[in-house]
Amino acid sequence: MARHAETAQKLRIDEQAATRYIGIAILALIIWRVITVGLAEGYPTSFWISQALNGMVLGGVYALVALGYTLVYGILFMINFAHGEVMMLGGIAGFFALQFAQGQGWMEGPWLVVVVALLFIMLIGMVTSVLIGMTLERLAYRPLRQAPRLVPLISAIGASLFLQYSVLLIFGVSPHSYRKPALISGGLRLGNVFIPYTGAIIFITSVLLMLALYFIIQRTKLGRAMRAVAEDRSTAALMGVDVDAVIVVTFMLGSALAGAAGVMLGFHNTVVKFNSGFMPGLKAFTAAVLGGIGNIPGAMFGALVLGLIEAIGPSALGIPTEYKDVIAFTLLVLILIFRPSGLFGEVLSEKKA
Amino acid sequence: MPKTIRTGLIAFAFLSYLIFIGVPGRIGENALPILAVVAGLFFWLNLRREVGRKGDSVHVLRAGLQAGATAGLLIAMESGLFATLLGNGVSIQPVFDKIVPQNIAALLGVRPGAIAQAQVPLLRYLLQVVYFTGSGLLGALAVAAVGASLRTYFSRPAMVSAGRWLVIALPFVLLAIVIYLGLPNVKLFSTNRGTVRLLLTLVTTGSGLFALRLTRPGRERMAVATLLGLGVLSMPFALDQFQNSVMGIVFIYVMMGLGLNIVVGYAGLLDLGYVAFFAIGAYTYAFVSAPFSSPFIRSLLLDLGVSADSPLLGYWMALPLAMITATIGGILLGIPVLRLRGDYLAIVTLGFGEIIRLFMLNLGELTNGPRGILQISQPGLFGLAPDAFSSGQLSSQGWIFLLALLSSALIAFIAIRLNDSRLGRAWIAMQEDEDVAQATGVHLVRTKLLAFAIGATFAGLAGQLYAARQINIFPENFSLFVSIDALALIIVGGIGSAPGIVLGALALKGLPEVLRGVDEYRIVTFAALLVIMMIVRPAGILPSARRRFERDSSDLDDGEDEIVVNSG
Amino acid sequence: MTTLLAVQGVTKMFGGLTAVDNVDLEIVERSITSLIGPNGAGKTTLFNCLTGLHRPDTGEIVFAGRSLVGLRSDEITARGIARTYQNIRLFGRMTALENVLVGQHLRLRASHWAAVLRTARQQAEERAAREIGRALLDFVGLGGQEEIISTNLPYGEQRLLEVARALGSRPRLLLLDEPAAGMNPRETERMMELVHRLRNERGVTVFLIEHNMKVVMSISEEVTVLDYGKKIAAGAPEAVRSNPRVIEAYLGPEVDQDLRIDREMQDIT
Repeated sequence: MARHAETAQKLRIDEQAATRYIGIAILALIIWRVITVGLAEGYPTSFWISQALNGMVLGGVYALVALGYTLVYGILFMINFAHGEVMMLGGIAGFFALQFAQGQGWMEGPWLVVVVALLFIMLIGMVTSVLIGMTLERLAYRPLRQAPRLVPLISAIGASLFLQYSVLLIFGVSPHSYRKPALISGGLRLGNVFIPYTGAIIFITSVLLMLALYFIIQRTKLGRAMRAVAEDRSTAALMGVDVDAVIVVTFMLGSALAGAAGVMLGFHNTVVKFNSGFMPGLKAFTAAVLGGIGNIPGAMFGALVLGLIEAIGPSALGIPTEYKDVIAFTLLVLILIFRPSGLFGEVLSEKKA
Repeated sequence: MPKTIRTGLIAFAFLSYLIFIGVPGRIGENALPILAVVAGLFFWLNLRREVGRKGDSVHVLRAGLQAGATAGLLIAMESGLFATLLGNGVSIQPVFDKIVPQNIAALLGVRPGAIAQAQVPLLRYLLQVVYFTGSGLLGALAVAAVGASLRTYFSRPAMVSAGRWLVIALPFVLLAIVIYLGLPNVKLFSTNRGTVRLLLTLVTTGSGLFALRLTRPGRERMAVATLLGLGVLSMPFALDQFQNSVMGIVFIYVMMGLGLNIVVGYAGLLDLGYVAFFAIGAYTYAFVSAPFSSPFIRSLLLDLGVSADSPLLGYWMALPLAMITATIGGILLGIPVLRLRGDYLAIVTLGFGEIIRLFMLNLGELTNGPRGILQISQPGLFGLAPDAFSSGQLSSQGWIFLLALLSSALIAFIAIRLNDSRLGRAWIAMQEDEDVAQATGVHLVRTKLLAFAIGATFAGLAGQLYAARQINIFPENFSLFVSIDALALIIVGGIGSAPGIVLGALALKGLPEVLRGVDEYRIVTFAALLVIMMIVRPAGILPSARRRFERDSSDLDDGEDEIVVNSG
Repeated sequence: MTTLLAVQGVTKMFGGLTAVDNVDLEIVERSITSLIGPNGAGKTTLFNCLTGLHRPDTGEIVFAGRSLVGLRSDEITARGIARTYQNIRLFGRMTALENVLVGQHLRLRASHWAAVLRTARQQAEERAAREIGRALLDFVGLGGQEEIISTNLPYGEQRLLEVARALGSRPRLLLLDEPAAGMNPRETERMMELVHRLRNERGVTVFLIEHNMKVVMSISEEVTVLDYGKKIAAGAPEAVRSNPRVIEAYLGPEVDQDLRIDREMQDIT
């Protein structure tokens, strides 16, 4: 026995050093690949810039959804697997609002009318998502608050499937196509780089919404209550914080952001259908984990990184774009292996450990 | 808002959902009475919770009346609204796909033409109110009747003993019906006789598990288990190709569930990418047992002087190979992710599962991409095809089912014995408190890797059998949903419990096949049941002893109205 | 009088806080030694360093002639150190006997294949392990409670079960982290008696953290005092009790507020 332990001792390589070396090796491999393959293709700089801008737009949308995951996780330690569907339903509602607006002729009106109409569409999407998010919390999650952690996860998976296929049944199989109003269908040309208006609007709106969320969490009484509940639920309750209400509000905030993301993704991808929340939801969760789940600025940054890598990665590595999901997930696996609590660390790691 | 009105509103929301997904139109002419019965069931469950405890039957009846009337009035108003809109030529379908004259007509019990011409007699709406008020009363009556008297009646010792023997006898009776008697030509909705028999097969197997749990440990249990085992083993010979193929997939999922249970249930490592090992097993077998389709490999083999059209290895020769590749996959994934904890592990394994699938999809050279690998060779017995060695008694799918049964039994045996050993104790200890387990002497890395590797091996076995069952496999057979199904079935059945896993697989992979007749509602029903299950019985239908204890001690307050199946 | 455990200059820092500061310590084989000190003095941190939960930043820990620094906690347990926890950490879903069986984990040799096949040797080993488990439960006074789920035991008995679990790995050195915390006088008496029997009947060396001075003074042969991570005194109980630095450390707030503040200032700068 003793001899055994002795050999084990000799064979031991310092684990951290080993991971570091592997990390450096992989990084070197990627850089080598980028230089020899990606850059050798000789794409013009403008190509890279427009890819990067594309990635930022996508990253902005991911960030909005990722925030929902992070907010809920921060407070309940549960993965709200149905969050992607909450987003999708926002997109569906937005579609009908758009139909309505087009039916009223608002989308062809003067620009102020179009802007107000777009805001109205977004608002409808957000309100729908909020309602769905609240219902979800009340029916599928609240009864399970004391249960072992796997149980709410399964419930969430059930809710996710239920929402997807209910949408399929209620609204039919045909995809719902967003038609952009003429006002925002063009774009801006800066030298060789083309910036579509929708992309710019999506990015700016995402940033504004994130700033709003940040303000709510850092500067308001409500935000303080949320942070208190995230820190320690029972103590917060003892201090007079209405924990149930805070959890509901958390779901509402996350869902509102997801609803906005759903509408914007509708404009970006031009279609919404029953399963169009699934992949973005998964990606957004990936982004939340990348940044360190429970960490709000981390989620935003993680989403941007993910969006950028997804947009630039395939060309830079010289591999087909079908592999962009592989790149996203490989990135996730690598980052988690080398930084087990995300790029920025989770905020709440202490309590769970 | 009074509770009774709230109950009515909830019932209305539930019925509206059914209308929006087009259930009345699907049922046809008897939609209204059937919906009323469903509503009655709903009222029963709901009233039992809301007012049933008070035990005053007049009070309960009044509550049922109020709730039923509320729901009925609202449904009548809703149908009136839709009928008027449709009658005036407004098309609702572009928004709500299922709000068409036929659906609303079924709800009102009139011809679709009557809707289009806006000629629905007022009496029809009144009838709706009457029906749903009636279901409210029915539900209340059930609460009043069942509430006190029946429960005390059934909990008398004599009844309990009789009930126990009834439950133990049930699977044998059902088995006899399934195997020997055949079935009268019954039709259930649009399902046929074969489906009814499948349903009976599923119920038989499931009831066998309950029966087993009710036996006393020792000789009685051994006897019942042996008889049940023989009965189940005779099933592949009696069922037809379709029923066998469904039972085959059920038991392939049992194999996977047992493997995943080692990782999640015993070692407590949440793995959402379990499909990866299933895929590795399937593709490994497919790769060596099907004619090679990739030009690259074909030319390579031709250069070596090997024929590319005849399979390299048969099922049994490929068995160790599929197991080993899956095990290696498990270890390779295990090493880097073992430092991760909880949800991170979940998402990384999920990512790994997706990566494997995307590779299968895009590595056209090896896997033939989305076109899949075709003509995978079938398992035989000493070179004989199933109908040859069984003189026509066993269909090809029956043989797969039989193999799945035997493999499941083997895997269950290994899993249970391991769980019973020091390794099993180390797993549970690790799941409860990693640091303390390690300080108590458990080698964490080795113990976790063992769980991963054993789980992966079992998944590889399941994958190989799956490839043989499918004959042709494609990357989309190995999506995230396989992992989710495997996880859901162990949780629904009762995590950590082998009988629970069989029951979970029967419910999750078998029942949906029975529901094929109402195909479009399959997934929503399943999903809703999943959520309801988690709320009503979070420890699963047949929980393991450990989990049962946990539930007993922690949730004393809400465990009152469930049927607890006690062992012994 | 051989030295079983020697701690030399061990320091452990968390961020800017020095939890254990350059501590030297020696424990003699078959002795009962206490570690005392005010709350937050670094006692449990030192235990964690000894059992491999934390890796000390500097210093050397030598157990039975070999260094322990850098070993994993299961390897340290294999060398012969076992411990209990201040806040009881039993495997709550297991029975009392199963807890002790986990304790014996690394003393069991049968392969996993043998477990699947239930070979005669594996079965014999399991039976023996159960026997030992029962004997250990008997030894700590939990005879007849083998099948009770551990968290259903009364508080005091849970502490006893932790001791039995620790004994499962056949330790030469047993670390007890506040074994009498939260116990009533009768239970405390029982625990003290158990500590004596551990040493006298099983020859186990005991190193314990304790707050109850009555316990400390009556059972230990040697007492070490930590304050702010530093060792401020060591020796026989009586000598330590009358040591002015120890009194100061315990009654500090009233007697010497200024010194404390000075010290804190030093820590910051």
